[in-house]
Amino acid sequence: MNRGQFIAILVGLVGVIGVVVALNSGSNEPAQASTASEGAVAQTNDSSDVGDNPDSLADPNADSTADEKAPVEPTANAPENLGPAMDLVDLDGWLQTDATALSDFDGQVKILQFWTFSCHNCTATIPYLQDIYATYEPQGLEIIGVHAPEFDFERDPAAVQEAAERLGVTWPIALDTDKLNFRAWQDRRFWPRTFVIDANGDVRFNHIGEGKYDELEATVAYLIENGGS
Amino acid sequence: MIDLLVEGFETALFPCSLVLLAPGVAAAVTARQESAAALTGYVTTVIVVGWLRFSGQIGDIGIPIVAMAFALAAALLVVPLIRRINLVSAAGGGVAGVAAAALWEPCVGAEFGGLLSDLTGRGVVGVFLMGVYLVGIMAPLAIVGAVLHLIPNPFLLPARPFMMVAGSAFFAVLAVATATGVINSVISKLVELSITV
Repeated sequence: MNRGQFIAILVGLVGVIGVVVALNSGSNEPAQASTASEGAVAQTNDSSDVGDNPDSLADPNADSTADEKAPVEPTANAPENLGPAMDLVDLDGWLQTDATALSDFDGQVKILQFWTFSCHNCTATIPYLQDIYATYEPQGLEIIGVHAPEFDFERDPAAVQEAAERLGVTWPIALDTDKLNFRAWQDRRFWPRTFVIDANGDVRFNHIGEGKYDELEATVAYLIENGGS
Repeated sequence: MIDLLVEGFETALFPCSLVLLAPGVAAAVTARQESAAALTGYVTTVIVVGWLRFSGQIGDIGIPIVAMAFALAAALLVVPLIRRINLVSAAGGGVAGVAAAALWEPCVGAEFGGLLSDLTGRGVVGVFLMGVYLVGIMAPLAIVGAVLHLIPNPFLLPARPFMMVAGSAFFAVLAVATATGVINSVISKLVELSITV
């Protein structure tokens, strides 16, 4: 490939990006509802009749906006039941709790998130989870952060504890050091992965990645208001 | 759509993209003035295999296959030392891309998460959007490729045969590290180093 051909390819790439930009500016395609089909945990999640803009939830780290944030309304309809949640098995321990098993939280509404502390997208969700935890923990919500390390240096429980303190993670952490649960719960594996489990142990929300914070909170709000299920 | 591209650009800065970027840089360096061909092959197969995996069309690619793919890339990318053939460089990059995409376990932002939630349902558009995101992540490779292609001066870069042998050796090491399971420790050390730096 000579220099001319190489430059032609570069120009072509710039052209493609230009078309992408032009198409994007000409459409306001709404974000898609979560319809993940995953493992034994979930089939679909059509509970998308609530707001879907991750930016619409004020940054809870910003004092003024956090104080002024309007409470998220519960979903009008019951969030779809995506089937029973799997158990957490062969864990390497727990941090920040006396619990020793997921069953210790039976009867509670739970947010269960697979995360790891060096994952930027995981840590970006923490302020939103802190906000939800502050609002709903007194009403019975529990958050369980299942720490599934991506890299070897994240495997040390002391490093996880240090990161939790640094990042402001105050909820229980389950150590899934060998990622057995991370793999079992997901056919396709991503960080972060967030589930809401109702008081009966059924999955009511399943989301890949950041975002959908309003939908997450609305699901929690619905379940809390309706006795957990 | 532009948000997806921008999110890809941003993700290139984070450790979980290293497994995609490091083999791409190595392929470009090894192929040197055929870097465009090697990177075209690399990016294309990363997009295709990434889509196949995350849309559920295929399951996990076994570690032995990944190791063999790295070994094959090592062999293919050193062939132009004997005779320069763009197609061979493209194939070497392509095979390396298959291996890298097989190892990739992504950290996911809001835009990519939205795409992944309905990747299968979007059909061909899903492949295109996956490509947009991955082009964003792999944008640094275009810079590496352009520099290597436009600066052939041997006084600025080590001699071509040395670069090709070194690059090929990198893929051979990746093959052995993948087969023995050491690759996780290697990547972890690289990430730890990058965070420290």
